[in-house]
Amino acid sequence: MFRYIVRRFLIMIPMLILISILCFIVIKLQPGDFTTQFLTDPRITPEMVNQIRERLGLDEPAHIQYLTWVKGIITRGDFGYSFAYKRPVQELIWERMGWTVAVAAATIVFTWVVAIPIGIYSAAHKYSVMDYVLTFVGFIGVSVPSFFLALVLMYIHLSLGGTAVGGLFSQQYIGAPWTWGKFVDLLKHLWIPVIAIGLSGTAGLIRLMRGNLLDVLGAQYVTTARAKGLHPRIVVYKHAVRNAINPLISIFGMQLPELISGTIIASIVLNLPTMGPFFYDALLNSDQYLVMTFLMLSAFMMLIGNLIADILLAWSDPRIWYD
Amino acid sequence: MKRFILAVLLLIVVVTPVYAQLSSNPAVMDPALFEEIGRKGGELVLGLSSSPRSFNFYGIIDNAAYTILYNILDPLVMENPATGEIVPGLAESWTVDDSGTVVTFKLRDVKWSDGTPFTADDVVFTMKHVVMNPNAEGNSVDRFTLGGAPVLWEKVDDHIVKAILPVPYGAFTRVLTHALMVPKHKYEPYIAALNEGVEPGTINKAWTTDTPVSDIVGTGTFVLSEYVVDQKVVLKPNPYSWKVDPEGNQLPYVSKLVYLIVQDDQVMLAKFRSGEIHRITITGQNYPALKREELSGAEYGVLAGSPVSPVPSPPHLAFNWDIDDPELREIFRNDKFREAVEYTIDRYRIIEDVYNTLAIIPGVPVLPANTAFYNPEIEEIMRPYDLEKAKQLLDEVGITLKDGVRVLPSGRPFQITLTTAVNVQPHNDIAVILKSEWEELGITTHLQLISSTLVGQKRTAGEFEAIIEAFGNQPDPQLRKAIWQPGRPLYYWHRSTMDENQEPVLENMEDWERRVFDLFELGEVEMDPVQRKAYYDEWQAIYAEKLPVIYIAKGMELAAVNNKLGNVFLKDNGQIVGTNYTIFIK
Repeated sequence: MFRYIVRRFLIMIPMLILISILCFIVIKLQPGDFTTQFLTDPRITPEMVNQIRERLGLDEPAHIQYLTWVKGIITRGDFGYSFAYKRPVQELIWERMGWTVAVAAATIVFTWVVAIPIGIYSAAHKYSVMDYVLTFVGFIGVSVPSFFLALVLMYIHLSLGGTAVGGLFSQQYIGAPWTWGKFVDLLKHLWIPVIAIGLSGTAGLIRLMRGNLLDVLGAQYVTTARAKGLHPRIVVYKHAVRNAINPLISIFGMQLPELISGTIIASIVLNLPTMGPFFYDALLNSDQYLVMTFLMLSAFMMLIGNLIADILLAWSDPRIWYD
Repeated sequence: MKRFILAVLLLIVVVTPVYAQLSSNPAVMDPALFEEIGRKGGELVLGLSSSPRSFNFYGIIDNAAYTILYNILDPLVMENPATGEIVPGLAESWTVDDSGTVVTFKLRDVKWSDGTPFTADDVVFTMKHVVMNPNAEGNSVDRFTLGGAPVLWEKVDDHIVKAILPVPYGAFTRVLTHALMVPKHKYEPYIAALNEGVEPGTINKAWTTDTPVSDIVGTGTFVLSEYVVDQKVVLKPNPYSWKVDPEGNQLPYVSKLVYLIVQDDQVMLAKFRSGEIHRITITGQNYPALKREELSGAEYGVLAGSPVSPVPSPPHLAFNWDIDDPELREIFRNDKFREAVEYTIDRYRIIEDVYNTLAIIPGVPVLPANTAFYNPEIEEIMRPYDLEKAKQLLDEVGITLKDGVRVLPSGRPFQITLTTAVNVQPHNDIAVILKSEWEELGITTHLQLISSTLVGQKRTAGEFEAIIEAFGNQPDPQLRKAIWQPGRPLYYWHRSTMDENQEPVLENMEDWERRVFDLFELGEVEMDPVQRKAYYDEWQAIYAEKLPVIYIAKGMELAAVNNKLGNVFLKDNGQIVGTNYTIFIK
């Protein structure tokens, strides 16, 4: 197992290099660069724009820019400099990491805690009224975009006299030391983003869990177990669910990159201090090293997530074995 | 014992609060800014639509940062927020010599927010190494370079400083209102010219968002107190603020100024309605709903200010004079064609439908309320909505009606693409109205509705046929010569008046463009206000007659204000008054 993990890590290196080259090409394919936005500003002369381009190294050919960036990472652990913020990109990303991970983790926990039991219930009570109701809710969750759901939730909340809209805290608690009041205020704000962002994932998971479990419940060994006179609950939870949940573990691994990239539009609408809106801004401004670092981080999370999922699979399913 | 005394002494030094300290010659703010004398205390919460990218006024081009820094830093002379006149700022007085080229400033006796005295050294340093630093991304080299030579600054003594202009410059004090003074003792380490081993671009790395707030010092009414990344910026009163109200109370009144960072307009509005944000700018679309809520007893009200400020920028329509298609190029350059188009614009309908009547007929492009520069004669020149006249003129140009469709002299159907920003609601709506008018004349119109960033790029690259764009109404036309003078980078509808070295090409200009070019050159070096107005009057008349761009409407300035704010009100002339340092919490 250890050798397997080491090998997976080694494979990640060429993968990341390839991904970085692709990302850089895509960034360079978009017309203009960071300085283009200045050309339309009456306060800035075109000479100034040229000076800025030169200073930022944007006048160099693309492959030189790329190699300089890679060299910085290898020799100094320096992921480059944000043109917009005049600061190293890793600092900027780190500053926003805390809330990004917190919101994403809360959302993922919500998704799983809600989806798995409902999925099991739906499968175990196939074609019952509740099954239809839950399936209906599930389809709404899958089909409604999260930013729209966010707007609707905020509208409902406001029209019922609530005031906690947008952001994670009321104004006076932002930046204040942690108190009970602050925590309650957080909970008052957090439910809208968690539901809005989490519902589509929840709905998808419910469908998957239900489908998988139905497959397993139709298997012969389940019929055998039932025929043996095992308690129905034990049949479902101990025998069937354990087998049905395997495919979901791989999905769990895929959710890791969402920790940082998440849902951008919903975060803007909900005014969350997370990485999504920040990344969106960087994309619009062609703040290239910030975008690159962000994409690399996202790719790295994806690779790690997959590895973790594979390891978890091996752990949960004795039939799977890597050497 | 000795130790004990030392400890007590130390404690006294540490614990003694910084009492509000008035400058020896404070500036009394114009009584026109006050409805009543305010009460001290409370917090004012405003919205900011993006996070500041830095706190370095000269290191970035970022409106969020500017909004914050105008509370913290001051210019030598400032615009009176109530009248727009130039009034003393950090300079308490100034004189211009007879040649019009030497301006001597007497500085006010004030301190930076950390207690360091503000002196002539700070002024010379700011102007020479920061404002005029070509490596600073937000520099103003262009504004302070006249006739190819820079304005020079000289210290006479600690409180007197001289500016030596290469040529007389009429708008000099006006441009100075945008040159905020930064502290030499904090900025010096970032200046390449003064430190060995410092790279030229280092100036841009001063005062980034991770700089400790105690290092960001200013002379303004507020200082930075806290920045929570992407969530809020908090400012507190500067103990050394030199602005006072008419009764001599030190300003500001509020004890905290908070900017909440809210990217989405709808969320901003929701936060305003819930009372979390105290004052916002609104659009004509939101006005009726908020007004209804005000009348039914909400805890806020709306103010409809007359169009007296540069924003909202009035939209105009322009055609691309340098388009590749030779036939279209000739049409767009034909004065009669543009005249015909002006006849198709129903400004009153647009004001009614697009702006909910909260707009006026615009200037060309000087605001009618700008008495210092507005030329009322343009009202006679502007052509009213008249489709018959438009048809007649189109016929004269040779764009004739054939089977219900207008065709060009070559027999090709006349089709036009109108580009504008999809995310600027008024522009969008105007485009739709223009399309319907034009189709009525038989001109097939395609709308290209794209994001404002892309519109800007297409404009700069000259990739458009017709476009609806907007530039703000700067009070002094000279400050926007980059737009209005032919041969300048933003004279985008006729780009061939400028060569690849950004130099004007006089032979590519029409006769009247030549005249406009000369008028701006004359106005720039003229010190006599009457003569300057005469030059700019002529420019406005030429624009109204020749229509390089066709002005459509000027939206009013609309604000929604929580009832607990004092000193935010409509002045007699219809202007919304209310600065962060005169507002108080009732």
